[in-house]
Amino acid sequence: MSFAAKPLVAGDLFEASARLSTEIDQEVARLAEPAERIAVLRRRWDEIAALGWPATVVPEEFGGAGGGLLDLAALVEGAGRAALPLPLASVCGAVPALLGAAFVNAGEGGAALAREALTGVAEGRLRICPVLALATQGGAEGRADREGRPPLAARPGSGDDGAAALVLDGAVLGVEAPPEPTHYLLACPVHPAVGQEQSAALVLLPADAPGLAARWHERIDGRPAVDLDLRSVPVPVGQVLARGEAVRERVASVSDAGALLVCVEAVSAMGALLEQTIAYLSTRVQFGVPLASFQALRHRVAEMYVAYRSLRALVGRTLRRATEDGATAPPWREVALAKLRLGGVGRFMAEAAIQLHGGMGMTQELAAARLAKRILMAEFEYGDTDHQARRLLAAAR
Amino acid sequence: MTEARATTAGEAAEYEAFRAEVRDFALSHCPPELRAMVAAYRKLERRELETWQRILYRRGWGAPNWPKEYGGTGWDLRRRVIFEEVMAECDCPPQPHQGLRHIGPVLIEFGTPEQKARFLPRILSGDDYWCQGYSEPGAGSDLASLKTRAVRDGDFYVVDGQKIWTSGAHEADMMFALVRTSTEARKQDGITMLLIPMDSPGIRVRPIRTIDAWHPHVNEVFLDGVRVPVANRIGEEGKGWRYAKFLLDRERLGPVHALAPGLRFLERARDLVARELSGVADTRKRELLELRLLMAEAEILGLRELGEEAIDDLMHGRPLGTAPSVLKLGWSEASQGITEAAFDAAGGRLAARFLPVEGSGPNAGAPEGIEWIHNFLYFRARSIFGGSSEIQKNLIARDLFGA
Repeated sequence: MSFAAKPLVAGDLFEASARLSTEIDQEVARLAEPAERIAVLRRRWDEIAALGWPATVVPEEFGGAGGGLLDLAALVEGAGRAALPLPLASVCGAVPALLGAAFVNAGEGGAALAREALTGVAEGRLRICPVLALATQGGAEGRADREGRPPLAARPGSGDDGAAALVLDGAVLGVEAPPEPTHYLLACPVHPAVGQEQSAALVLLPADAPGLAARWHERIDGRPAVDLDLRSVPVPVGQVLARGEAVRERVASVSDAGALLVCVEAVSAMGALLEQTIAYLSTRVQFGVPLASFQALRHRVAEMYVAYRSLRALVGRTLRRATEDGATAPPWREVALAKLRLGGVGRFMAEAAIQLHGGMGMTQELAAARLAKRILMAEFEYGDTDHQARRLLAAAR
Repeated sequence: MTEARATTAGEAAEYEAFRAEVRDFALSHCPPELRAMVAAYRKLERRELETWQRILYRRGWGAPNWPKEYGGTGWDLRRRVIFEEVMAECDCPPQPHQGLRHIGPVLIEFGTPEQKARFLPRILSGDDYWCQGYSEPGAGSDLASLKTRAVRDGDFYVVDGQKIWTSGAHEADMMFALVRTSTEARKQDGITMLLIPMDSPGIRVRPIRTIDAWHPHVNEVFLDGVRVPVANRIGEEGKGWRYAKFLLDRERLGPVHALAPGLRFLERARDLVARELSGVADTRKRELLELRLLMAEAEILGLRELGEEAIDDLMHGRPLGTAPSVLKLGWSEASQGITEAAFDAAGGRLAARFLPVEGSGPNAGAPEGIEWIHNFLYFRARSIFGGSSEIQKNLIARDLFGA
């Protein structure tokens, strides 16, 4: 085999992440029951916290490493190589970025809580699950419950000292989460909106807040996911980190950064998937010859490769634009185009790899099959294909 | 770090200044009627190409890819690509590439002093127009199977056979052709490259009627006892395959050049979709087609980035690997996708009114937008010429599987 995928962000962080992810993927793949797998992930998360990955972009003044988007990209690119069933982009990327919104316009209480939370994240004590439940964010998370519960929203509380500033009601489904989160960091609309300031809120809730019910699932890529159902959950003023436009703007840039990281991770998974598919076809013998000698299969692989190379280039370009000097937020249109293309290419790559592995492609024990499922799931994260298409079309009007 | 473009800020500023200079020149010197023809995807004849070539020649930009000593610009690869991009963006006609990009570099590398002196200046100035006599009825993708024979007779070769798909043969002065001078065990041996004047007795050119109705464009060329001076042979007898390979290697960035008009092409298709489907009842269809064009845009952006990487690799002497095949395949597919969206937008109205029964030429009195029907049909050839998609996939697979 002469093909070896080239990382976009090579280096120690990428290598370390790829190594640990492979270890975790292999350990989890042997276990039959979702509960056993979640237990392993919970233990492994402490290892990840000890390595300081959740502190990657936490500012140094809060005990973090003060890194940036490129460091996160290196981490998720390593994770992509082995379909790591843990939410690095969300927990290491979105959480610190969202907490940072508290310093823009929060009251003293919010800023103090954000400082405390960032420190806790940096120390590895807190496992915070971000919940982006604003309609503008799209994707799996902001979706309304089809089972009779309204989508998550806040309404103003009585507001005085000691009483609730906001009251939360409603549900969010299938939120990607770290195992056993200590907190939920929720961005949601406020109804009825009382002026711009009141249109959205960012709230930090302890996982054991009264009135908050969680139901756990495992996603197709093996990551833990949670349905949250909140019934009249009071939020004291000190737990409201930010309000209004600042929340929406922050969520928009966090979503774009998240979508970009998902692209980086998925491209990495596609590279590994191609390597494994080529290796399989080169060794598997049928009719007395390696499968790699059949033109129909060779051409399918060539098509995968072309799709992979052009997506990789597009994502590399977008990452460069997002991290070049003077860049403040990821370039949304390029991110949307990359994510849009990821949808189509990802589906094609995953299906082709499963097909090319024959019966083996249908087995959970095959690493390539797990990569394929990770790639399929990536389409729905941080704004699915439909969401990206809608905003691109709306901007063209 | 991400793979950085290997330019410093200073270099980047220089390239941008160059881009602005080329754009200024193109907008002020390319005749508006020519640019309008290009913008409307009208079929261009030699006359149009020649006009623009002469203007570029007078500016000293006749041969962007030639070294200075032969009257070229001596530009580096990046400047050449920027030049192509600006030309496309300003709707300038293409330069006659058979002379400039194909036989020109072969003459510079392997030509005799007499051949260089005789042919190169006339290519540069636009006086001579060349065509390429490679493919034959029995030798398409399998080019080395060509059978057109050249038999030595004193100071001449006598050439008999047939060439096909010869672009521009109907208006060319010269043809560089691969011919068989001996039958060896290995079919790549025994091939010789000859430069044949198109007004030689015994040459007959027959245009091929193509599905896009943009003929004459490609032709059949029949060679019947054509006498070609030995002085018109490139290099040694029997080494023609080597020179043809050299040409192909020089043209490995061809797909990057082909990509230059990509975004412009896309924008034009977008305009068409918006125009054709402006009614409220068309909203669903319009959005579907716009979505497909967005997908094409994403692919083009990725391919352009790949093209940039390839330029970087070439400029730093790194091997190109599969990049040319990836670019060729990707751009064939993306450009065909664009024409398909346009066909979906306008086909219902225009496919039934393809050619006028009265009037002259395919575009005379044609309904607005008809060029997209031609485009759609013509673009089917993208995945066939210059190494078909199937050949490109074979090449990629050989690289990926190591055999």
